[in-house]
Amino acid sequence: MVKVIVNGTEVEVEEGATLLRAIQRAGYEVPTLCLFGHMYREASCRVCLVELSNGKLVPACAYPVSEGLRVLTDTPKVRRVRRTVIELILATHKTKCWECLRKGGHCLLLKLASEYGVEGIPVCAECPLYGEDCLVVRGYPCLGPITVAGCGAQCPLSGSYCIGCRGPITRKDTLREAARFYAKYGVNIKNVLSLATIFWGRLSEFNLVRSELLNSFTNYFRGGGP
Amino acid sequence: MRSLLERCCSKCWHSTEYPCRNYVRCRLEGPLCHDDPSCREARRARIEEIKYGRYGFKIRVPLASCSIAAGAQEVYEAVVKEVKSRGIKADVGRVGCTGLCYLDPWVELHRRGYPPAIYANVRPEDVGKILSEYLSGDVSSAYALRYRTGRARGEDKVPTLDELDVWRLQVRYVSRNCGLIDPESIEEYIAYGGYRGLDRALRMSPDEVIEEIKKSGLRGRGGAGFPTWLKWRICRDQPSKEKYVIVNADEGDPGAFMNRLLAESDPHRVLEGLIIAGYAVGAAKGFIFVRAEKPLMAERLRKAVEDARKYGLLGRNILGRGFNFDVEVILSAGAFVCGEETALIAAIEGRATPRQRPPYPAVKGLWGKPTVINNVETLAHVATIMAEGWESFARYGTEKSKGTKMFCVTGAVKRTGAYEVPLGTTLRVLVEKIAGGARDGRRIKAIQIGGPSGGCIPAELMDTPIDYESLQKVGAIMGSGGIVVIDDSSCMVDVAKYFTSFVVAESCGKCFPCRVGTKILYDTLVRITEGEGSDEDLEVLQDLSEVIKYASLCALGGTAPNPVLSTLRYFRNEYEAHIRDKRCPAGVCSRLVTYYIIDSKCVGCGSCARSCPVGAVSRGSNGKYVIDSSKCIRCGQCFIVCPVGAVGKR
Repeated sequence: MVKVIVNGTEVEVEEGATLLRAIQRAGYEVPTLCLFGHMYREASCRVCLVELSNGKLVPACAYPVSEGLRVLTDTPKVRRVRRTVIELILATHKTKCWECLRKGGHCLLLKLASEYGVEGIPVCAECPLYGEDCLVVRGYPCLGPITVAGCGAQCPLSGSYCIGCRGPITRKDTLREAARFYAKYGVNIKNVLSLATIFWGRLSEFNLVRSELLNSFTNYFRGGGP
Repeated sequence: MRSLLERCCSKCWHSTEYPCRNYVRCRLEGPLCHDDPSCREARRARIEEIKYGRYGFKIRVPLASCSIAAGAQEVYEAVVKEVKSRGIKADVGRVGCTGLCYLDPWVELHRRGYPPAIYANVRPEDVGKILSEYLSGDVSSAYALRYRTGRARGEDKVPTLDELDVWRLQVRYVSRNCGLIDPESIEEYIAYGGYRGLDRALRMSPDEVIEEIKKSGLRGRGGAGFPTWLKWRICRDQPSKEKYVIVNADEGDPGAFMNRLLAESDPHRVLEGLIIAGYAVGAAKGFIFVRAEKPLMAERLRKAVEDARKYGLLGRNILGRGFNFDVEVILSAGAFVCGEETALIAAIEGRATPRQRPPYPAVKGLWGKPTVINNVETLAHVATIMAEGWESFARYGTEKSKGTKMFCVTGAVKRTGAYEVPLGTTLRVLVEKIAGGARDGRRIKAIQIGGPSGGCIPAELMDTPIDYESLQKVGAIMGSGGIVVIDDSSCMVDVAKYFTSFVVAESCGKCFPCRVGTKILYDTLVRITEGEGSDEDLEVLQDLSEVIKYASLCALGGTAPNPVLSTLRYFRNEYEAHIRDKRCPAGVCSRLVTYYIIDSKCVGCGSCARSCPVGAVSRGSNGKYVIDSSKCIRCGQCFIVCPVGAVGKR
């Protein structure tokens, strides 16, 4: 174990861990954009820069910890550099947020921009979908799964933005999954199915599982469970 | 015995399969394994022959890329033809470049008993005249002599090289063989004392070799000045079995060519240094990373590797010491970012983008294995230090920056070239004494040192000694040693714009501050040079430069704003003139120049009016011409065509 001092707080992390881990363990937050778990660790977005005791700025996501390392996560210098970096990122950004797949509260860049007071943020930051729940979660019989567009709200299944499940569902097991999902949030399956028939009626798979679904979910509501 | 490297008689037995430990020494000091006066005599005679030619008459023509560009190939062919047609008994040798580029192409004639005479700026048609003159014992038309002997006519009228500032103030330590030996001949390199360093290193333990380099105080000659021994020590201490050494011959700074010059003129010295580095860190494989844009350099390095392999100086069980090492020459696609170690490694693996450090390459480098990367010049120094001992190197230089360093002085100076001086020499000595100061009665305004990563320092600071720390203090870096001298005909904003455009083009695009930031810097500079700048722009330049410096991933971005920062620091008045007065003091930025006709000089010939593409020049009532500045597009044609210099600009 290696001892690291984050903003004056001493924490212990495993050897070979990154500075980011130590900072998180100490209870502080550092923004990251280009870090995706173990998939991508290239330190290229430069928003996770933190200051070492010698005044150097290093990216927390890639810098390995060493014994007695002192790090400050929120100095004026760090904030200034971070802010400029975000400005630079937005300088080449298209900012056509409505076309972006991450719209609706899942865009880290927009969150960062508003946090660091970068001006000229696109309209999407005040977007009504920002942070709103899926219609299904709110109890509406949404027909998302038959569209290709999606509403962009946060998907309660995957956590990502709603893309309408990429168009009409045709596979039997996925249909069952969708029905189960509706049922879970208390949407009346009969309503959904009768609505869906208008659109899905021509799909042979749908007709095949329709009655099966109805039966099983009627049982489900009686308290049997799937 | 036709070659020094061959066996003198059947008692000699060295081969690549069964190497002899004393192979290198034996070449120079006669057979060591058996005592045979005739063998000794044969060896001695062969060395003599290499140095003075078969008939005691040797003609040397430097043939490196730089001299070839100046026309040395034609001169060489003319010399060969002349010697053949006249039946002169002489050896014509291709040698490397001495670094005195302003004298290219040159020919050095050396006949035993006569002083070696150097003829500079030779044209192919002059060759016949030069030869007959020298053969008649007259050297009076020579440019310089290598040294005096007191036999030839007119000798006292011609200076020796040692009398000339350009040679006297240099210390030729690592470049000693440049211009003296045939770079494609391993035999000549050994005859001039080559591979003795390797021989000595292999008699020591690797730790002793590192200790020797530590004592010499050698620091990396590629730019940052990291102590070479420390890099080797860290790499040696890694537990990994596989290690690599790489020589970075991917020199890319505008105005720097000392690595190319060294590798083209003395490739074996670089190779020898690489083998020693491999031995010291415990690597079995070395790479020479060379720019494909420099084909001659690549070819000569490749030939050096082949020759060394042929004579058992590379491969298995080198010189019978049980050390296996092989070298591969890799052609690079030529990217400035490869000056960054991690990017160079990534380039060998596939794609040249830098990685975040730490881990440093000495710990985790090529294919995840500990790797040492050294500059061409550093390794050439290593070979020389190992041959001559650390004292010979540490004698030169300052307390913290020891030894000598090659600098390429280019730009607005009289004598452009690559010069080797001890560190701690002031810029004034280098620029004014050695390189001869400004051309055409101009005044030196600034010195750009260290390439696009370095800074422009004003002429007032010319007394700064050249060493790693002093240069950093004034806002420049030593870099690889390219020095571009800027005189008062250049605009400093334009200079900053040029270097920034270089960085914009060379940025690999991996991290935001460098990719986007440098572009914004460049756009701002373009705006200023076009007269559309505002005072705010200066603040933007300053702030953005600092952020790019702090936030960039690698050294390219970390040093990219240096030209802007240093010109802002020392030449702020020029920026202000562009922004407030909409005027370019040096008259370079075309959008800010106003052309006018000086009435007193105008002869009324009308060539300005004819050359003007927009018809802005018209004939006035007094028969003289006038430029209508509202129509003028500032193309400068009238300025060029005016036969009497009556067009002025301000």
